[in-house]
Amino acid sequence: MANVHDMGTLPAEPEKATLEGKNKILGFWLFLGGEMVLFGTLFASFIALRNSVPEGPTGDQIFKLGMVAVATFILLTSSLTSVMAMMAMHRQQVKKMLTWLWVTVVLGLAFLGLEIYEFVEYVHEGHTFTSSAFGTSFYTLVGFHGAHVAFGVCWIALLCIQGMKKGLTVVTAPKFYVASLYWHFIDVVWVFIFSVVYLLGKAG
Amino acid sequence: MSEQQHTSSPSGRHRLEGPKNHYITYIASILLTMLAFAAVMYLGLDKMFLVIFLVGMAIVQAVLQLAVWMHMKERDHVYPIIGIAFGAFVAIGGFMAAIFWMWW
Repeated sequence: MANVHDMGTLPAEPEKATLEGKNKILGFWLFLGGEMVLFGTLFASFIALRNSVPEGPTGDQIFKLGMVAVATFILLTSSLTSVMAMMAMHRQQVKKMLTWLWVTVVLGLAFLGLEIYEFVEYVHEGHTFTSSAFGTSFYTLVGFHGAHVAFGVCWIALLCIQGMKKGLTVVTAPKFYVASLYWHFIDVVWVFIFSVVYLLGKAG
Repeated sequence: MSEQQHTSSPSGRHRLEGPKNHYITYIASILLTMLAFAAVMYLGLDKMFLVIFLVGMAIVQAVLQLAVWMHMKERDHVYPIIGIAFGAFVAIGGFMAAIFWMWW
């Protein structure tokens, strides 16, 4: 059923073929601007509080850069797979697009699993939400990002299920496109998290 | 990737984009990331230099991904650029305020 649209009957860029699709993408960009403000303020408070550790472990003591590097690699790769999905969408290869999106979902789940494992480990070492201002700002910032990943995983998985039923149309294409924009944005935020939170935290 | 041959025909009105730029962005992102990790893990660099270096690497990688993966370099992206620029303005403003409070 999904192959009905494989015949090149759709316009070249189906996500921008209707005014509704165009508006959806524009609105989503403005939302991403707002998301930037949200994460910007969380970063600002983290930077102000990251050395406020009256008791409990400091970042330098608990951060494990090896695990962060693996998480970074997973998220970066998932950003690439969602771009591959969009390329398949522009070629109207629905199956290929859905496969790449499912790969993205799996990589997102792997990232989440690593992050949960990491947080559990930290809590065991005495680094909790209430242990210090560093702990509070750390879990708020990194946790907010993790929540975005969790939301993205659910969203893209639901879109894939819908895509399997409805195929690629001018109605479904903007949804896929917008979800891929969201996923890239999550990866861009992570770039700043691993640089500012983990690497600078390790540097002291 | 047999469909890649479509991508290099400049005559078509709707030119399909090839994967090349996306692969380059991916490899560049990995290299920038490795550079940042190596600077912290293996090189005993001055802390002030590290701050500037790490934030600089992150900004380069973010701009690269925004431009290529999120297609901001393409035409008809004036409003997205304005939206993101406003977001960046407030984010950087908050950033600066926090650093200002810390140091003075």
